[in-house]
Amino acid sequence: MADVNETINGLLSELRRGTIVIGVLSQLSEPQYGYSLVPVLGEKGLAVDAGTLYPLLRRLEKQELLESKWDTNEARPRKYYLLSPFGREVYEGLCLEWRKLIISMEAIMDEDKGGEPDGSD
Amino acid sequence: MEVIDRYIYAVTQRLPEQQRADIKQELRGLIDDMLEERAPAHQATREDAESVLLELGHPNALAAKYRGYDRYLIGPMMFEPYLTTLKIVLISIGIALTVVFAIETIVAPTDILEHFTSYLVSLVTAGAQGFGWVTIVCALIDFRQQKEAASASVNKGWKPSDLPHIPDMNTQIKLSEPIAGIIFTVLFTVLCLYSIELLGVWRLHDGERYVIPFLNADVFQNYMPIIWVVAALGILKESIRIIVRKRTGKMLALHIVVGVAATVLICIMLADPAIWNPDFIQQLEAAGFLSAGAEGYDTVVSIWSEVTEWLVNIIGLFALIDIITETYKWYRIKQTA
Repeated sequence: MADVNETINGLLSELRRGTIVIGVLSQLSEPQYGYSLVPVLGEKGLAVDAGTLYPLLRRLEKQELLESKWDTNEARPRKYYLLSPFGREVYEGLCLEWRKLIISMEAIMDEDKGGEPDGSD
Repeated sequence: MEVIDRYIYAVTQRLPEQQRADIKQELRGLIDDMLEERAPAHQATREDAESVLLELGHPNALAAKYRGYDRYLIGPMMFEPYLTTLKIVLISIGIALTVVFAIETIVAPTDILEHFTSYLVSLVTAGAQGFGWVTIVCALIDFRQQKEAASASVNKGWKPSDLPHIPDMNTQIKLSEPIAGIIFTVLFTVLCLYSIELLGVWRLHDGERYVIPFLNADVFQNYMPIIWVVAALGILKESIRIIVRKRTGKMLALHIVVGVAATVLICIMLADPAIWNPDFIQQLEAAGFLSAGAEGYDTVVSIWSEVTEWLVNIIGLFALIDIITETYKWYRIKQTA
């Protein structure tokens, strides 16, 4: 039989994939470069590795959700990303949808719990 | 650090040219940031560098994430029909060349070594040609299908009524039909390419066989581009038949267009008087088949002088019969559908 933890981890990473997009968009009202986002998201409990984050940032830029600018004034040139007006709209829409999703999921999981004989009766 | 340069190179090599510089710079910044976190103030060791690279993952995987899609010359959807067509074409080239080799050896057994070398050389060159053309045709079809699929997903234009019908036995093209078509085309092309002089009247004389050819091989050489076009059209049509495997109006139209085009091209070629062997009658006489004044001489001469007209008519008739049978098959399916 497959390991329970392993299976959970596999499914969880699928679930996380979409949440990372929301997490990234939420942090980019101010310009940030890729690696500065890693600890910020990590502190908030959304662990993401740089190898996933950097390609994602480029993809979101290509979808015109983000704008980018190279800062070459510092010793190390860095590419800063910022939410575009279109991205802001999309982010707000996503948040609304996410909240609806939470409510639906809560309802589904509560129902499941209610269906179980809890023996209090 | 050299290992970092090699990592960045390995990632960016697998990305489109125009994105490389930007990704390279960004990736370098990222790796420097990660290194600094491990060992402040430029004290990073090779072990630090390697642990950073291991954390970023296999360069192929990272490049794949950057690309976001996979690229194929011939995608998984097309690969099976591609392999089928390729096998048929290569096998029929092999058979055709072997047949030519056998005939040549029978005609002139003393030159067997020479025939064998040219047989091997032809196997390689014709095999490469066949491989190349099948690959190009399948890649083009695949490219078109991918573009169609992309535009369909953008327009969300999927309707359940668009689903392909389950092919019933009548509408399905039997695999043997296109296979026979390809084998015939390849045999025809190989014959034209390598052994057009074998087409003629054969003569056995004192144990030596020789052939009086119908066609003038030198002039015929100039028409090789036409043969190539006809062969390419034929193989293209049969490949599409293998992929679609269904009789439809479009397939019928394709069949007719290719059939008419090939017939017209061949007839244009045959209608050139220079393509025929100018000394055919004299060679027949010299070989002792014919003698002036003998019975039948006039008949042979008059047939020979009208051979072009006859052949063009016969080829035209065959093309017509082919088109009518194919149309009839399609019409019957339409009736029952």
